[in-house]
Amino acid sequence: MRWLIRIRAYFLKEVREIRRQPLLLISLVAGPLLVLVLFGAGFVNSNPVLRTALILPDDLPAEMRTQITSLVGLNFKLVDRAYTPADARLALANGDLDVVQIVPDDVFGKLQRGENPTILVYSNAINPLVEGWIQYLAYAQINEINKALLTEQTRLAQQQARAVAVRITVGANRLTELERELSRAEQEAIRQELSTLRALIVQFRNAIPPENLFAGRSEDVENLRARADDALQSLDEVDAILASGDLERSLEELRDSKELLALLDQQIAIFVSIAPETIVSPVQQRYQNIRTESIGQASGAYPAVVYYAPGVLALLVQHTAVSLGALALVRERMMGAFELFRVSPANMVQLLIGKYLGYTVFIAVASAALAAAMRLLGVPLQGSWQLFALLLLLLTIASLGVGFFISAVAGSDSQAIQFAMISLLLSIFFSGFFISRDSFAAWVAPITALIPMSHGVAGFHDLMLRGITPDPEVWIDLGIIAIMTFVLVTFLTQRQFRRA
Amino acid sequence: MTSTRANAIESHDVSLIFGENAGVFNQTYTLPEGTILGLIGPSGCGKTTTVRLALGLYHPHKGTIRVLGANPAAFRPDHQARIGYIPQQFVLYPNLSVTENAEFLASLYGMRRHQIRRRLDELLDFVDLAGARNRLGRQLSGGMQRRLMLVGALMHDPDLIFADEPTAGIDPVLRGRFWDYFRTLRDQGRTLLITTQIVSEAMYCDYVAIMRQGRLLAIDTPHNLKRRALGGEIIHLTLANPADLAKAVGALRRYPHVKEVRYVPESDRELYVAVDDAGDWIPEVLNVLEDPDDPNIVVESAEELALTFDDVFIRIIRQWEDEPIDQTADAMMEREPYGQHSARTSHTTHPDDIASHQ
Repeated sequence: MRWLIRIRAYFLKEVREIRRQPLLLISLVAGPLLVLVLFGAGFVNSNPVLRTALILPDDLPAEMRTQITSLVGLNFKLVDRAYTPADARLALANGDLDVVQIVPDDVFGKLQRGENPTILVYSNAINPLVEGWIQYLAYAQINEINKALLTEQTRLAQQQARAVAVRITVGANRLTELERELSRAEQEAIRQELSTLRALIVQFRNAIPPENLFAGRSEDVENLRARADDALQSLDEVDAILASGDLERSLEELRDSKELLALLDQQIAIFVSIAPETIVSPVQQRYQNIRTESIGQASGAYPAVVYYAPGVLALLVQHTAVSLGALALVRERMMGAFELFRVSPANMVQLLIGKYLGYTVFIAVASAALAAAMRLLGVPLQGSWQLFALLLLLLTIASLGVGFFISAVAGSDSQAIQFAMISLLLSIFFSGFFISRDSFAAWVAPITALIPMSHGVAGFHDLMLRGITPDPEVWIDLGIIAIMTFVLVTFLTQRQFRRA
Repeated sequence: MTSTRANAIESHDVSLIFGENAGVFNQTYTLPEGTILGLIGPSGCGKTTTVRLALGLYHPHKGTIRVLGANPAAFRPDHQARIGYIPQQFVLYPNLSVTENAEFLASLYGMRRHQIRRRLDELLDFVDLAGARNRLGRQLSGGMQRRLMLVGALMHDPDLIFADEPTAGIDPVLRGRFWDYFRTLRDQGRTLLITTQIVSEAMYCDYVAIMRQGRLLAIDTPHNLKRRALGGEIIHLTLANPADLAKAVGALRRYPHVKEVRYVPESDRELYVAVDDAGDWIPEVLNVLEDPDDPNIVVESAEELALTFDDVFIRIIRQWEDEPIDQTADAMMEREPYGQHSARTSHTTHPDDIASHQ
């Protein structure tokens, strides 16, 4: 009975001490809540805003200029001012611009010649995440520009193909006529018509987008150039026959030519029947978040403020517990209270249990208040509240253990505060609060696992936002941290207690 | 003074050495139950270490110590429950009220709520804190904080109370009240070991131990310590005629009950005369000097020289500096009851010393 009375003594002492500091409780609940509200109200985009100068060549057609500007403007914030390449680089170096993009001259000419025109993208980024974003956004933008260019070129090629198709029909009829006996003048007239057809096919052939750009997209389009070449070759042969005037011996060749023209005609018919966008992007994507099926909303992901709320809750619990724990023992040790405790019949385990209980009650009250306030912000609790309470309790005990451990090894108040700050920094970077835990090398995993908040963030996300039971790993790791720190703190404090 | 009471503390040849000349050395003393022992000495002389050894917070490197019949290193909860402790600094909690602080300490001793309530009322009245029971620790004055510490130490009704400089930094009026509390506790049968740097507080103690550099220089009743410091008691004589001074010295030195006669510096008609008991021997000394046959000296005044305890303390320290105490001397203290080992300090008296304290 006296054993319990002593635990109650420490418990009540802690509760009363904290109760006398209402500002502490208010700041612990209101502080994170206000930060969340501010975050929710102020957060507009997770992408960085990149001030960008776009330098276009003078020879770019107005329509294409508008299209490229519009595409670049999707991912980058285009500045109004016009820059020369040299000025733009200077502005980049001075920090007045984040990105400079330079589109080369003669884009279409290069495309038709099978060259790869290169858009130069410059940045002066110092933030690795921003640099990653620039590279990714530039890549996505180039894809879009490529698509636009190819679509445009394909549309042009289709227009020409339609004109060629009309001429092919006429040309085929003329070839049939050549099988009859015609005068020399008639033959010459047909030869002229076929020559015109040949010129059209050559023009069309040149308008066909390079084969490498179509590779793997459409077999019909891929073979179009070869068909055109075959048709041209046969027209040349017909022209040679007509020039020789020996038609009777070349009837077979005339029939072959007619077949090749018919083949090209078929290919063109297919080519013009396909929408240019389909030829350029044969595979489309359709995204759906399966959560929308159950919640019946257009977007399945939560707003950023809701998504980060479980992390904030885990952060509040851990940081409060670590801070309280970190100061708890070192302060009593330094003020000489250990001496008083040691003279009394109370022992160290009673002291620790009493403190654990006192702080747990306080953190539970603060967390419950914060969780309730979060509900008002629209943060859900999809899973079981019993599991939520259990996870909160386990996270609190594990975090208190870390705090008490800091307190046991710290030589002074200020050292304890420093250690608590380091643990906070470690948690923000490695717990998965902002940066995914998967982003780190495998050797970081044990460090991450030692941070209670890592498991708190994962567990609260599962319980609050997904409505599923957290992985067994969450419970096991938190349990291990709680037990390990309790044993360590008991051992270390017992030693200090003996030396008080 | 010979005590027939049981001893609350028995320390025999205890040493605890922290480093070169730091720690406590060869401490031998006993503390009878129901008495107050004042440990007096300058800062850093080992008073707190002596207390911590008795509390079991430190373990001696040498010697044995028993407190309430047990080795402090192996105190059981029932031993600890009989001890109250007021540490040097205020270690109670600034955000808890007077009542809550006292309840906390009482609960550490396993007291139940109804016991606490009854005892707290009693003690708050005792130390005049009843009106401040709901005041927070941080709202208390220094004196009130000390009284609260006393309440905390007394909540579980201990038999033996250790108070480490309980009167440091508080005004003389409150100091007097504290000693009233301590003497009341002593009268209730409790034993107290109290450390202080304020030498004048020795007069409130039943026994006084003077400490210096980790060593107990002397332990005795305040009265006996005075006698030891001066080699007895001193009669301050003033003669009517300076011409009689040499004659008076000769007459007194021939008188067997006079231990020593010394001139008072810068005076041509005053003498200090050392005797066992000034009250008893003043008439005899006057008879010797005013004998009409010889020497027929007119004495203008004769009175016991009243020295403050500060003077006594300084004299004992100086005596020790002249001839440091060895282990044998300490052992002697243990063998002899307090007040019976004054011989070793009687031979170092010097007239200048006395003159310097006038």
